[in-house]
Amino acid sequence: MPPSRESISNRGDDDEVCPVCKSSRYLNPDMRFLINPECYHKMCESCVDRIFSGGPANCPVAGCHKTLRKARFRKQTFEDIGVEREVDIRRRVMQVLNRREEEFDSKRAYDDFLEQREEIIANLVHGTDVAKTEGDLQRYASENMRSIRANQALEAREASSFQEQQTHEQELARLRRQAAREEYENERREILAGREDVLSRLAAGKPADAATIAREGHKVLLKKSSARRSEEERIRQKQAALRNSDSRKAGATAVDRTTESRDSGFIKGLKRIKTPEPEKPYDPFGGLVPNKRDYYTLRDSYPSSYLDPIRQDTRMQAGGYNLQEYYSRTLMEAFAGLGCFVDEEVARRDGAISKPNATEV
Amino acid sequence: MAVSPLISRSPSATASSSNAAMKLKKVATQSSLNGPEIAPSPLSMQNSDRELTEQLNDDVRHKYIKDKKLGEGTYAVVFLGHLRSEPSSFVAIKKIKVNAEYKDGLSMDAIREVKYLQELAHPNIIALHDVFSSKDKNLSLVLEYLPLGDLEMLIKDANIHYGVADIKAWMGMLTRGVWFCHENFVLHRDIKPNNLLIASDGEVKLADFGLARSFADPYLNMTHQVITRWYRPPELLYGARQYSGVVDVWSIGMVFAELILRVPFVAGSSDLDQISKICEAFGTPTEANWPGVTKLPNYLAPDNNHMVPLQGREFFLRQFPTVGAVGADLLMSMCALDPRKRSSACQILQHGWWLTEPKPTNKENLPRKSGGTKKMGDDLTRRGGEVDDTPFKNAARQLDFNAMR
Repeated sequence: MPPSRESISNRGDDDEVCPVCKSSRYLNPDMRFLINPECYHKMCESCVDRIFSGGPANCPVAGCHKTLRKARFRKQTFEDIGVEREVDIRRRVMQVLNRREEEFDSKRAYDDFLEQREEIIANLVHGTDVAKTEGDLQRYASENMRSIRANQALEAREASSFQEQQTHEQELARLRRQAAREEYENERREILAGREDVLSRLAAGKPADAATIAREGHKVLLKKSSARRSEEERIRQKQAALRNSDSRKAGATAVDRTTESRDSGFIKGLKRIKTPEPEKPYDPFGGLVPNKRDYYTLRDSYPSSYLDPIRQDTRMQAGGYNLQEYYSRTLMEAFAGLGCFVDEEVARRDGAISKPNATEV
Repeated sequence: MAVSPLISRSPSATASSSNAAMKLKKVATQSSLNGPEIAPSPLSMQNSDRELTEQLNDDVRHKYIKDKKLGEGTYAVVFLGHLRSEPSSFVAIKKIKVNAEYKDGLSMDAIREVKYLQELAHPNIIALHDVFSSKDKNLSLVLEYLPLGDLEMLIKDANIHYGVADIKAWMGMLTRGVWFCHENFVLHRDIKPNNLLIASDGEVKLADFGLARSFADPYLNMTHQVITRWYRPPELLYGARQYSGVVDVWSIGMVFAELILRVPFVAGSSDLDQISKICEAFGTPTEANWPGVTKLPNYLAPDNNHMVPLQGREFFLRQFPTVGAVGADLLMSMCALDPRKRSSACQILQHGWWLTEPKPTNKENLPRKSGGTKKMGDDLTRRGGEVDDTPFKNAARQLDFNAMR
């Protein structure tokens, strides 16, 4: 069983005395307590007014020499001052270290970033390495001012668009409910009208027609309701289409946002390195070297009685037959494979494969 | 160029994660190194008395799983498949049909394709991962899976806009592929936009080596009935039996022009019409501008009162203004009538156009279009040199009226 309500309120009663001016709630029912995130010492509103109206002053609590300003005083959210303080620190750190998941290369990098952030928060909360951590944080904040701003703006925009969507959905739901209510009303009214109509006709007509009139009346009603139903169906479809298009639009803007955020500058630690791309000049040969001959040089012409007729044959020449190609092919085939050591290449390939293998297993 | 014969044959996973690719490679090499003795597949266990070649073939066959049919033609059926060990690694399996024409063996196209593709490993040439045969003596080629269709699809789609930078990137990839073929003395002989397939990362790959052959053999006649008509150079139209690598360069030039204009530049309805269209466009070949042309077997004396002078630089600049003066100069060097004056693939790559502004688009940012899988199926089932622009291209394949034209 959780601690009973009374015990909490009792402890609250004990607290209801301002530690500075010792006035209690009993004397001043409107008393409100304020804290300052510099030292988290609690005092009543009138004390704050009294001490800090004339500008910054020292904290009145004995032993605390922090200089406080009136503007920073605010109401306490959590009863436990430790929680209050941690939440404040967390908010401040999160505002600076506001990288988003899509800015990281991998899930792993993002997780590392989250862990790093938690560590910083824990350091600040528990007072370990505060000076160094604060320094790091400050440096990071000044270096990454722009991306921090961008991410903050992004967050704000997301929050507002979420709000917008929420209200939009509520509005739609309200309209739907209203339509349903109206429809129900209409139906009821029509049934009544139909019944009245039948009654009046029965009153006017002969007794023999009674059965047919009743049947007709029933039929008319059915027809009307089916017409209405198809009408409703159409409206509903239209609304569904509208809703779909809305959500699609929202999706598209989300994509835009992610691409936008990629532009923000790069960051410390394990963060995604924004591809700097040192614009290589275009290589038409795609990395291969043209006319690379390791073991021979190609001459323009080789004397050969076997090839002489070709040199004279205008028909072959006119067709584009090129003895240069023959020379170069013959020489290439003669030297092909020299300098290629298949077993070495196989060993290298297997080595390259087995290395990641070893780390994997 | 000393190229190592060791080719890594494992299809890389389409999943971009390098880890997956690494794992895949590992699996592939293990299975190929271990061989049937160490890691026998269940099938080879059953009949251990069979020949080693059959066992090897079965091992290769069992490495892949066929998923669905992508396309079917007279010549081949193409399936989408994947590695048994790695479902994210897609391959295209091209199964060559048993043909009535070649009762005693395989069709030439299939042999050519295997013979040359297994020699060539380059980013701009479609990779041949494996070859195996199935029970009915059919040959299946396991090819790289290129899901983004081909260049023809992009040229014809009016909704796709591309600029000089994109053309430069495509042309660069195409020319590199052709240059690599020529450097290894393989003529492609069927370069056209629908043989230029696009990989998932945007890389253009030269496909369909059904008409490829080695070249530069002296005194060895080669056929002049190759290369799809619109991309066929004048020396082949004139029936030359000895020609060189620059026949492919003419085709590259035609693809270049088509990329710029978005319609085939010289599209003749018959071989004769093609010659006259070329004469009109680039000038009439004469002994003066092409010494020896009149000696070519199928040379036709042109109409004397309809002589078009050889077109100069201004013509190319006027026809293809978008690529600029340097680009027009490059195109002109690819479209020289006299094959001896035409640039080689290597000379094209050394041209200054590649270094001028704008810089070629990165391959990831090139325009692309979905629905390319079907197109790949169609492209790979076509026989070399075949055009599928006929209105009933998927109907009644048995009645092939094209052959009668």
